[in-house]
Amino acid sequence: MTYKPRFMTSRRSVLKGTGAAFIGLTFMPYKAMAEEEKKLNFYNWDTYIGENTLADFNKATGIEVKMDLYADNAELFAKLKEGNPGYDVIVPTNDYVERMIAAGMLEELDHSKILNMSNIADAFKDAAFDPGRKHSIPYMWGTLGHGYRKSKVEDAGSWKASLEGDTHAGRIALLGDGESVIGIALKYLGHSFNSVDPAEMKAAEELLIAGKKNVKAYADDNGQDLLASGEVDLAMEWNGDIIQVMAEDEDLSYVVPSEGSLLWQDCVCIPKGAPHPDNAHAFLNYILDADAGAHIADTIQYATANAAAKAKMSEEYTGNPGIFPTDEVIAKCEPSLYSEEKTRLRSESWTRIQAA
Amino acid sequence: MAGKNRSRGPLDYGRSPWLIGFGILVFVLLYAPIVQLIAFSFNDSKRNIVWQGFTTKYYKVAWENASLVEAFTNSIAIAIMCTVVATIIGTATALWLWRFRFPFKAGAEGVMALPIVIPEICMGIAVLVMYSRIGGWMRTFESGPIHWWNELFSIWPLNLAAITAAHIAFSFPFVAVVVRARLAGFNRELEEASKDLGATEWQTFRNVVLPFMMPGVIAGALLAFTLSLDDFVITFFTAGPETNTFPVKVYSLVRRGVSPDINAASTALIVITLVATVLAMRLQAPSKSEG
Amino acid sequence: MENWKENRVVFWVTALPGIFWLTVFFLIPLALIWGMSFGEKTSIVDIEITGTFANYARAFKEVYLLIIWKSIWISAIACALCLAIAYPIAFGICFSPPRWRPLLLLLIILPFWINLLIRTYALIAVFRTRGTLNYFLEWLWNLAFMDKLIGPYEPLELLYNNGAVIVGMVYVFMPFMVLPLYATIERLDRSYLEASLDLGASQWTTFWKVTVPLTMPGIVSGVILVFIPMLGMFLVPDLLGGTNAIMIGNVITDQFKAANDWPFGAALSFLLMYVTFLALALRAFIGSRSRGRVGV
Repeated sequence: MTYKPRFMTSRRSVLKGTGAAFIGLTFMPYKAMAEEEKKLNFYNWDTYIGENTLADFNKATGIEVKMDLYADNAELFAKLKEGNPGYDVIVPTNDYVERMIAAGMLEELDHSKILNMSNIADAFKDAAFDPGRKHSIPYMWGTLGHGYRKSKVEDAGSWKASLEGDTHAGRIALLGDGESVIGIALKYLGHSFNSVDPAEMKAAEELLIAGKKNVKAYADDNGQDLLASGEVDLAMEWNGDIIQVMAEDEDLSYVVPSEGSLLWQDCVCIPKGAPHPDNAHAFLNYILDADAGAHIADTIQYATANAAAKAKMSEEYTGNPGIFPTDEVIAKCEPSLYSEEKTRLRSESWTRIQAA
Repeated sequence: MAGKNRSRGPLDYGRSPWLIGFGILVFVLLYAPIVQLIAFSFNDSKRNIVWQGFTTKYYKVAWENASLVEAFTNSIAIAIMCTVVATIIGTATALWLWRFRFPFKAGAEGVMALPIVIPEICMGIAVLVMYSRIGGWMRTFESGPIHWWNELFSIWPLNLAAITAAHIAFSFPFVAVVVRARLAGFNRELEEASKDLGATEWQTFRNVVLPFMMPGVIAGALLAFTLSLDDFVITFFTAGPETNTFPVKVYSLVRRGVSPDINAASTALIVITLVATVLAMRLQAPSKSEG
Repeated sequence: MENWKENRVVFWVTALPGIFWLTVFFLIPLALIWGMSFGEKTSIVDIEITGTFANYARAFKEVYLLIIWKSIWISAIACALCLAIAYPIAFGICFSPPRWRPLLLLLIILPFWINLLIRTYALIAVFRTRGTLNYFLEWLWNLAFMDKLIGPYEPLELLYNNGAVIVGMVYVFMPFMVLPLYATIERLDRSYLEASLDLGASQWTTFWKVTVPLTMPGIVSGVILVFIPMLGMFLVPDLLGGTNAIMIGNVITDQFKAANDWPFGAALSFLLMYVTFLALALRAFIGSRSRGRVGV
């Protein structure tokens, strides 16, 4: 018997007997409609859109956007895996875009409806994880690095500070996302972020286990809070999260360590089975607009992949090394590549590290 | 009752200074984080770290956040519907298991305890898989009489039925456990006496069994309400774009730090539920016949 | 207890609602997941049920058994603490004036109408190094001139360890212990206590020899309602725990989310359920024997 998440014909026989009882109790986003209603269901990260973007989009097109939030990619994936409950636009990160393409979960984009694609910066016009940008448009990008308290930490320029040595014992927070932490440990040891080589993986695991005694917590997306509240002095975190707290505490800073790091890219995609695909295309086109893009970048302070929008931004934003790392730094960074084997190995290794 | 004595009798534990002291201590510990939370909802800072002055603006922010208000009302509606149905089903189940001897009873008891035993995430995924299967199956009938059903169940609060049904499934066994613990001390002779005196099955239940088990039923209902109102995991996997609940909303919001408007909304939730419960208790009080 | 044949109408009226609801909204979806635990991933989204026991075999690896064992003892300590705190509270409420009881019960349950996550974050705000509790202790320290005598106050590191996880769990599961205890203690026949006291037993002896045995059903149901969900908890260890706070709930959640290995997650969930069932069956067995002896 095979589970077929989106084409449920094989399960019919099982459900036939009881199915009638459920009729009303299921979600029915798929209504037979002659014309698309002026609605759009947007599934996004928290604080990841311009303050007035949705209202402006409504003014421009008459489409009412309803935004729901998710906390991480894995959640988004788990929720859509068994079928789309009614979302039109989602914002997965590059490796998840790759995974969702491989799983056939993303709608192919109609480029003729997204004329603003010409605004995308050259470096992002094509992507290894989505050749020809058939399923995704780039949104924001960034790095993983050290958020640190300047008065307490001087050696944040190397991953050594958080992974090895006792200098900051008990004052360190690493990420709760094992895949990234192990990747960074590999990077520190001079290997590829995406390595699945058993010997390299083992060395990284041992490094992390040995460093555990110095780490206060594996923080799930709240390393910046631990940093801001003085619980730790050094946190492995996403650049955007640290930049948010830097605005409120002058003693905090962000750096991408010299060994290199992870380069991530969030993309805007349309999941298969989206009830309002036309509106979704209009929305994708809208956020690639120069003014709309600049407004978004201005609110959320992440590096935009929209060249026309970046051109409209102030020097303060474009010159911020925390937002836009130099080319040298970027050259040392790597994107996370999707592979089921890697995911499984990393997850097992992470469990062992935590249980050790 | 022993409570009639003015001076403290040996059974008057309610006036034992040790017990009162301990109770106060526990209440203080229980409420310290809550008081802090309420205080921070009036804090004029985006992060809950230091006090920066009094403001009520976050109540306005929370109130103007339409999706937060919607999630809020959805949560309360689901919790109320769930409590009513789960209390009825749970009480019936408790009576059933308490009163009757039947083949495979131990098995039935075990199965009824399953929802308590299962890890939430597993049930969340299970419900997700089932609903999406049915959803896929239903999609093959886009028109016809079923279409009419779909329309009906897209109207609030009927569109919350799927979530509510799952909530009832995991909360009624909790009610059953509590009510049954209460029933375990019931003197069956009272019931027999009532029937000997000519009362029907229903009259006996209404006038003898029900009053006895009422504290258990109320405790069970409170549990069901709490479980439903606070559930995140199962709801997360059942909710769609139109049917978000407060915990789901909060979960996605606070992973990046608790903002004061969330504290404000939580304070509002606690005040609303408190007022509603006190009112309900007041309304119910006169009809209570036993002392 | 009646034989079910004596009153079939009442039997079915009380039995059917629960059976129906549980079957439709619980057993059927659960069966799908149970099937999955004998399956294999054939692609990113497809799972084929092959009848394999590989997932269970994998779950018996040392690392998972260790984590399960750790979850059991953490939950056991937290559950015992919960009982130790909840029992006097439930007892006090039951012996308070009747018109106070609903209010006190409400006060116990009220904090739990605040979302679990928010409550946990509030707990963090109280316990963190620069949190309310440490500020309060520092204030006391300075008030006692200890800063002049010994030196400045060193804030306590209260979070991110197993103790914090236990405290967090006790905090989260409190009402699930108080309510069943309340329901049983409330119907405690006080004449037994009076008899015991009249016959010369001390309060202490009366409590252990009379009150506790008589309220055993409440204790047992409270322990079940608290201990079992604690076993599967993942949010509290996630937020309050340190680097080795991982519990089986975290591993299971990871399988269903980041690791995207539903068959293994299903197998782990069911393993946990088999263990709990075994424990419950054991309890029922022991319970039935002792009941036979005492003749209650």
